[in-house]
Amino acid sequence: MKHPTPRRLAAAMASMGMAAGVLLGGLAVEAIAAEAPAAAPDIAPLPELKPGKEAMIELGKYLFFDTRLSGDWGVSCASCHDPAKGWGDGAPLSKGYPSTEYFRNSPTLFNTAHKKTFLWDGRLAGNDMGTLVRDMITEAHTMNADGRIVQERMKQVPEYVALWEKAFGAGKDPYGPSTFNVVGEFVKTLNSQNAPIDKYLKGDESALSAEAKEGLALFRGKAGCVACHNGPILSDGKRHRTGVPEHPDVLGNPLRTITLLRHYATSGMPNYMNARTDVGFYAISKDPADMGRFATPSLRELKHTAPYMHNGVFATLPAVVDFYDKGGGQGGALKPLNLSDAEKASLVAFLESLSGDPPSVQAPKIPDFKLREFGKN
Amino acid sequence: MTLRPNVCKTVAVAAIATVAGSVAFAASGTKETHPPLAPLPPVPIPVDNPMTPEKIELGKKLFWDYRLSGDNSTPCVSCHFPALGWGDNSPISRGYPGTKHWRNSQTILNSAYYNKLFWEGNVTSLEGQAPAAAEGAVAGNGDTAMMEMRLRFIPEYVEAFKKVYGIDWPRMNQAYQAIAAYQRTVVSDAAKVPFDRFAKGDKSALTDAQKRGKALFEGKAGCIRCHNGPLASNQEYYSLGLPEYPEFKSDELYQITHRWEQYQKGVPEAVYRTADRDMGLYYQTMNPADIGKFRVPSLRETKYTAPYMHNGLFTTLAEVVDFYDKGAGPLPDKSPLLKPLGLTAAEKADLVAFVESLSMDEPLIHEDPKLPGDYQPLK
Repeated sequence: MKHPTPRRLAAAMASMGMAAGVLLGGLAVEAIAAEAPAAAPDIAPLPELKPGKEAMIELGKYLFFDTRLSGDWGVSCASCHDPAKGWGDGAPLSKGYPSTEYFRNSPTLFNTAHKKTFLWDGRLAGNDMGTLVRDMITEAHTMNADGRIVQERMKQVPEYVALWEKAFGAGKDPYGPSTFNVVGEFVKTLNSQNAPIDKYLKGDESALSAEAKEGLALFRGKAGCVACHNGPILSDGKRHRTGVPEHPDVLGNPLRTITLLRHYATSGMPNYMNARTDVGFYAISKDPADMGRFATPSLRELKHTAPYMHNGVFATLPAVVDFYDKGGGQGGALKPLNLSDAEKASLVAFLESLSGDPPSVQAPKIPDFKLREFGKN
Repeated sequence: MTLRPNVCKTVAVAAIATVAGSVAFAASGTKETHPPLAPLPPVPIPVDNPMTPEKIELGKKLFWDYRLSGDNSTPCVSCHFPALGWGDNSPISRGYPGTKHWRNSQTILNSAYYNKLFWEGNVTSLEGQAPAAAEGAVAGNGDTAMMEMRLRFIPEYVEAFKKVYGIDWPRMNQAYQAIAAYQRTVVSDAAKVPFDRFAKGDKSALTDAQKRGKALFEGKAGCIRCHNGPLASNQEYYSLGLPEYPEFKSDELYQITHRWEQYQKGVPEAVYRTADRDMGLYYQTMNPADIGKFRVPSLRETKYTAPYMHNGLFTTLAEVVDFYDKGAGPLPDKSPLLKPLGLTAAEKADLVAFVESLSMDEPLIHEDPKLPGDYQPLK
C-alpha cells in the first residue's frame, strides 16, 4: 500500500472540494473549481494589502465595538471577536445573541482580508465582506438587529454622522449597507505582524528555531499539512472532510441544537429535524458529497486563537496534531501519518512560528446618542 | 338637532357588520344613520381557525411565553398585561429592549371584533396581527425560525401542538393561530357591562347621569358618528388633528424609531427627510389625503385602558372629552366632522359617566398560566 504523497493527497482533496455554485437567499456561494493545483502547493509570506480608506476604517472601528449594532444592545462584534481573545471568544462554541447559544466556534478575525471564503462552512466568498457583516448583524443567533434600525441608530450619533461624511462625501448620511462595509474595512486591518515565518520566508534563516524548521519540513512533507494549509494564510480556502468529532454540547445543550437545526431549516436542508450532527457545507449545497465538509482555517496566529476546529473540540495544538497523526476522525478523508513524538513536537513548534504580534487595538470610547432636530431627518 | 334611535334588533349573528338597526343622526342639516350601540354579538370565528379548548389553552401559554421574542424579554403579555387593561399603561408602548415603540399599546380586549388591527389598520385579522407584533423590530423582535425551533425543544408544546393540530413539530403559523384563538376569549362579559344590561332591558343598569350622557353621545356630542355599533367603533379612519407625542422631540430612542418607521414603511425619500409626525393611514395608502388618519378605537373597557389615543396623549376620559369639546386638535388636516361641541361641565361629566358604562364592573383579568418547562435535548 502506497503512502499518500502530499501531491496525491492534495489532488484527492481538491477533487473532493468540488461544489456547485448555488444561490441561497440572494447570497452568492462561491463555486470552487475541481482542478488539481498546477504546482505543488506551498506556504507564502503575507502579501502587502492595498491600504483601506482611513475614514472608513476609523468609523468601522467604532461600530465594531458598539453594542447598538445588536437588537437589544446585548452584544457588539467584539463580544464574540474579542481582541483580548485572539479576535475570537476563547470558548469552544460561540455564545451568540442573548438567550441563544451557537453551535460552532467563533472564528478569529486575524487575516480576514486574505481569506478566500468566510464562515466555517465557507458559504460566503472572500470578496463578500459586506454580506458577511450583514449576516452577523442581522442573524437571529448573532446580533439579531434590523439593519434599518441600526442605520437610524447611527444617524442619532453626531460623531458617526461626521465620520460618514468624511468617508463617503458631503451630504452622505448613515446608510445600512455602508454600515456593513465600514465594519468590514476595519476587520480587513486586523492582520498578522512580525510572525517569524514571514521573516524566514523572506530570507532570515535565524527567524525559525531548528525544531520549527524540522516542523516545516514535516509540514511540507511527511505530515502533508501543506496540501490544504497553503498560501499566505496557510489555507486553500476549500472545504474538506476531516472527521472532527462532534462537540458533545451541541446535542447536550438544547440551546445549541436549536440554533443548529434552525440553521438547517433556514438553509432549506431536507429532513432537518432528524439531523443530529453538524453536516457542514451539506446544509448549504445539499450535495451528499459535502456532508461533514468544513473550510480549511488559516494556521496563522494559532497561539492566540485556541480552542481549535469548527467546534473548538481541541484545546491545544498538540491535540490537533495528534488528531491528524491518527488520520483524522471517523468518516474523514485522511490517512494516519505515523509521526514520532519528536516529529509531533516539531510540527507544533512550526505552527507556533506562524504567530506574531497581535495588532494593538484599543476599544474606542463609544459616543452617545444626541437629540436631533425633529423633522430634519 | 333630532335624534331617533331605532330599536336594536338583537340577532345572534357572528359578523358585527350584519347587526341590524340604525341610529339616525342629524348634523349640519343632513341626516345620517348609524348602527346603534348594542351588546356585542358572539365573537366571529374564522372558518380556518376554529376554537377548541386545547387550542385556547395553548394560545394562552404562548401569549405569556417569554421565549416568543428575540431575547426572552418581550412576550405578548409584556405589552398587553391583564392588570393594565391588557395594554401597558404607558402613553407609548415600552418596545423591545434597546428600542422604544412609537404608538400606544392597544388593549387586546375585544380585539376579536376588529377587522382592522393596529392603529393604521394594516392587518385584517388577529392571525395577521400576532406575527407583526412578535417579530417587529420595536416590539418582540423575534425571528420566526428561531421561535419555531425553540417551541420544538419544549416537550409540552410538542405534545400540545400534536394534540391541537395533529402535527409532529410546532409551527409558528399555528402558534399564531392559537394565540389568536386565545385572544378571542379576551372579550367583555355583557352581564357585567352596565350599558349591555341596559340595552337588554334593565333600565336601572344606567344611572341618570349615564342616561343623559348616552343622549349626548348619540346627539349633541356626535360621538355616535364614529363610535357606533356593538364595538363602539365604525372601524373607519379619521384625522383628529392630534398633536404629536411631545417626547419625539426630547428622546433619542423615540427619534430613532420615528425615522425607522418612515423608512421601513417605505415613504418617498422627501417624506422621510422631513417627517415630523405619525402619518397613520398614509403609510398604507401613500395618499397624502390620509395623513394623520387613524382607525377609530372601540370605547368598550376604556375605564381600564388609559392612557388614550394612538399616542397615549390623554390620561383620563375627561381629558379626551375636553379635547373633543374643543373641536379636537390643532392640526389642519383634521376631519370636518370635528367642530367645537359647546358642552357644559355637567354635560362633559355625563358623557364620561356614559362612556364608563361601556366597561365591565370589574376589569377582566386572566391568571398567569403555568408555562411549560425548560428546553430538553432531542431524542
